[in-house]
This record gives sequence, structure tokens and C-alpha cells, in this order.
Amino acid sequence: MKRRAFLKTGISMALLGQVLLVPEAGRAAAQKPSLRFLRPPGALPEDDFLSRCIHCGQCGEACPNRCIQYFADENGLASADTPYIVPREKACILCMKCGDVCPTGAIQKVRYELDDILAKVKMGHALIDKQLCLSWQGKSCGVCYRACKLPDVAIRVGYMEQPEILDGCVGCGLCERSCIQIPQAIKVIPRSS
Amino acid sequence: MKTTTGKPFFLWRHLNKLRWLSLSLVFAMLVFLPYAHVYQTYVAAHAYDLLADSEKEIYDVMESLTEPFVSDPEKDLDAVKGNTWSGTLFGFKMSDPLAVAGQVAASKRVYLPFLLTALVPLLATLLLGRFYCGWICPATFLYELNSNLAAWLHRAGLKTGNRRFDRRLKYLVLGAGLLLSMLTGSVMVATIYPPAIIGREIYYAVALGGFGAGAVFFVGTLLFDLLVARRGFCRYLCPGGALYSLLGRYRLVRIQRVVEQCNDCAKCNAICEFGLDPLRDGFGQECNNCTACIAICPTDALTFRLQLHDQPDQGPGHLGRQYQREKAAGEQDRRTPAGEEQP
Repeated sequence: MKRRAFLKTGISMALLGQVLLVPEAGRAAAQKPSLRFLRPPGALPEDDFLSRCIHCGQCGEACPNRCIQYFADENGLASADTPYIVPREKACILCMKCGDVCPTGAIQKVRYELDDILAKVKMGHALIDKQLCLSWQGKSCGVCYRACKLPDVAIRVGYMEQPEILDGCVGCGLCERSCIQIPQAIKVIPRSS
Repeated sequence: MKTTTGKPFFLWRHLNKLRWLSLSLVFAMLVFLPYAHVYQTYVAAHAYDLLADSEKEIYDVMESLTEPFVSDPEKDLDAVKGNTWSGTLFGFKMSDPLAVAGQVAASKRVYLPFLLTALVPLLATLLLGRFYCGWICPATFLYELNSNLAAWLHRAGLKTGNRRFDRRLKYLVLGAGLLLSMLTGSVMVATIYPPAIIGREIYYAVALGGFGAGAVFFVGTLLFDLLVARRGFCRYLCPGGALYSLLGRYRLVRIQRVVEQCNDCAKCNAICEFGLDPLRDGFGQECNNCTACIAICPTDALTFRLQLHDQPDQGPGHLGRQYQREKAAGEQDRRTPAGEEQP
């Protein structure tokens, strides 16, 4: 009798868990266009990242720029308490400390050197809206180029400081953060989407 | 089984105080580290004069706290990071075995460097059993204070919960948590495991401006403990407790009863936070070696032993009335009870 009661509770609890947390819900939400976020630099591709991250919060605690924030349930329960960066609010300065402190390899260790950063950091890729960009509209600006940590590798400016994104862009978001246009004329498109 | 008589080592009575010191230190550390991080970012910003008054206060306090130990706070304070779920201690990384179990379930493969970070806690658990629950867990710190609150409320005449459930429920929670991790491909056990939640939430509250959803869950468990079952979450639901109980089943260091010294007062059963039965040798895999029973025992009848199994029930304590009565009856019949010696 006791065993039966035990089994009953167990099965009902397992079923409840199934209903509450539908698999894939997190990844479905990640496709929402309104929720544009970056994972910390050196993070694995989204699925691998989620399965590796143990939600310990050390990456945020190591971030000297305090740009790493944590999801509640906006992006689905699967990514609750996982780190993200919104570049327009505060962008990554590519110091690579989060990878050093990550115990699980969800954020890879990246040496603070150009080669290693270019090889492993794939947060996203910047995209310029030439209709909004001051330089492209004839008022020379060049702020994004000055903000970039990888000038002439990730971004280059030409005549009238008109910016162009190069293949070396890793998507840290410093250009988006610094853009003086509202709304910003340069945006980082996350790798996951 | 024959046992040696004699009082247990006198310091063991004071281990409970040491345990409280350990719990308080761990908790204080979890509060200190987020502030240390915030302080580091202020230092990195090089703009003391532009800080708000409240921020200046944090800066000044943290500066005076850390100044004797670090020369360059921005770098040197990186030595200690994280929480009890996973942390870095002077370059040495340690993680909760449950985090490893959850990650293996979620990613369906073993990542060796991370597995190695759980090695020290794992070996300690194999040796000492569920000691993490009694000595380190930041949730235990709050849960035990919560038990004290319940005791005060009880004394004031209010009704607090004292229901009992099946202890095996928590193994089911562990299984369900790992299964969910496997299905969602994300380490879901972290969202239902109080010590992980507390580490995170304190950081959120200090550095990110407010508690998150996990705090609500944790308050829920506190209320559950207060209103439904004493220490109910740890006893019946905690997935980490379940894992540690399994790992500590054949632990080497055990609290055991010295039957010759025991007077059957049952104070140990009343004090036991996990609702075990030290009075009748019912420790089992759940015992977390918290030593509260050793501290309260009036006749020094509980002690540490090095053995892989609990003693079987040794019957009534030799200083108790029941034993004396039975012995007197036995002597009348000119029979001696089995395994008996001079009390």
C-alpha cells in the first residue's frame, strides 16, 4: 500500500514536470525577433552552450564591465539564469575574463590575442543601416570606428568616415553601443539567428 | 556487535559550533563576493568622484576590508569567485557534483575538465556522506534559522507544520530533474536546487539590482518548511540531498550510538533536523554528520566511528529505565541478556 502511494505520487509529479516544461520551448523563444541578445564572447553555438552552462553566474561576476546580464524567463525556461549581453545597453569589451572563469567550457577559454579572438569569438556580426548612418548621409561621424576594439580588422572607414564592416567583426557590440543615432544605425545581428 | 565503552572525544561536543561558524562563513562569503565584484568594477571605472553616495559607501567599505590583502583590487580580487554551486578558489575550480550530473544529462557527454572540478567534493562526500548539507550549504544556514523561527512560533502557541512524507521522494525529484535536463538540453536541476539559487540570487540582488524568480521559489521552500514539514525541502525534496545521500551511503565517518552510555532521553531524535532516529541507531544514508545530536546528548552517548555500515539496533540504552527493568527481570530468571556487560 505504501509503495503504491509512493509510486502514484512519483508518476503524477513526473507528469506535472512534463507539462510545465515543454522541451524546445527555450529555443523557440530564441527566434523571437524582439529579443536580440548576444551570448558572452567565446560561447559555444546556442544548443551546445545551453547544454553546457550550469547557470552558476561566474561569468557575470568576472565581467569588469558588468555587461553580462541573466535571463529570467523571457527566453524560455531552458535559458533561465543563463548569461546574455544587450549591446545597446552595455557592450562586451572583449577582455576574455568570462572564458577563463567558466568551469564548464560553455564559454571557451580565449587568449587575449587577435588570432585567438578571431578564431573563437563569434557573438554576431554588425550590420550598418546606411539610411540612418550619419556618415553615409553626408555628416562625417566615424564614432563606431573609434569605438571598435579591432579597427581595420572588423570595421573600416573610407571617404567621409563612411563605415564598412569587414569579415573580422566578432560582434562585441561596442559600435552599436557607441552609435550616436537614435535608433542606432549599426546593429549586431547575433550568430544564433 | 561488541562496542568499546568510554566517553567520546570531548571536542566532538563542540563541533556543532564549528559547523555554525562554517555555515556563517560560507554565507558571509556569498554576500561578500558580489560586493567585491562591484567594487572591482568601480575601481576599473577610475571615477570615484562620479560615484553616487551609496556607491561611494560600498567602495569605501570594500576598500578598507580588502586593502590589507590585495595591492591591485581589480586583478587580485579575481582570485576568489563564484558560489557553492561552482566557484574558483585561488585558481582551483570546484563544482557541485550535482552540477556535473546535470551537465552530463543535458549534453549527454562527459566534459572531463569540468568533471575534475567536482572531484574533491565527490571524494569528501564518499568519505563523510552528506556533510555538504550540514556544513556548507548556504540554504541550510537559512533553513536552520527558519527551524528556529518555527520553534519560537511553536513556543508562542502558533501551529507550525510537522507533517512527514516519504523520504524517497527526493530521489524522484533528482531523477525528474535529470530527466528534464536531458529533455530540454539545459541544466534544469540548477533552477530547483536551493544552494545554487541562493548563490545566484545574492549576486543578482547586489550587482544586478534585484532578486530574480529563484528568490520566490526559495521563499516558497522556506514557507513549506515553516507551515508544512520541518526542514521539509531538505528531507523530502532536495535533488542535491538525494545525490549526496546516494554517494554517502557507504561513508566511512559515521555518528553512532554508544549503547552503554545512552539513557533513552530521546533528545537526539528531537534535535535531528533530518528527522532521523539516532535513539535506535537509525542513521542511514540520510545523516549529514551535522553533530547536533552529539552536542545535545546529556550522557555523551553519541560518537564518531569509522565503519562502512551502521550498527544494527542495539536496543534500549543501558542507563535507561527500560533496560534496568529488563535486566532486573532477567536476573530474577537467573538468565543474562545476550551481549550484556557491566553498565
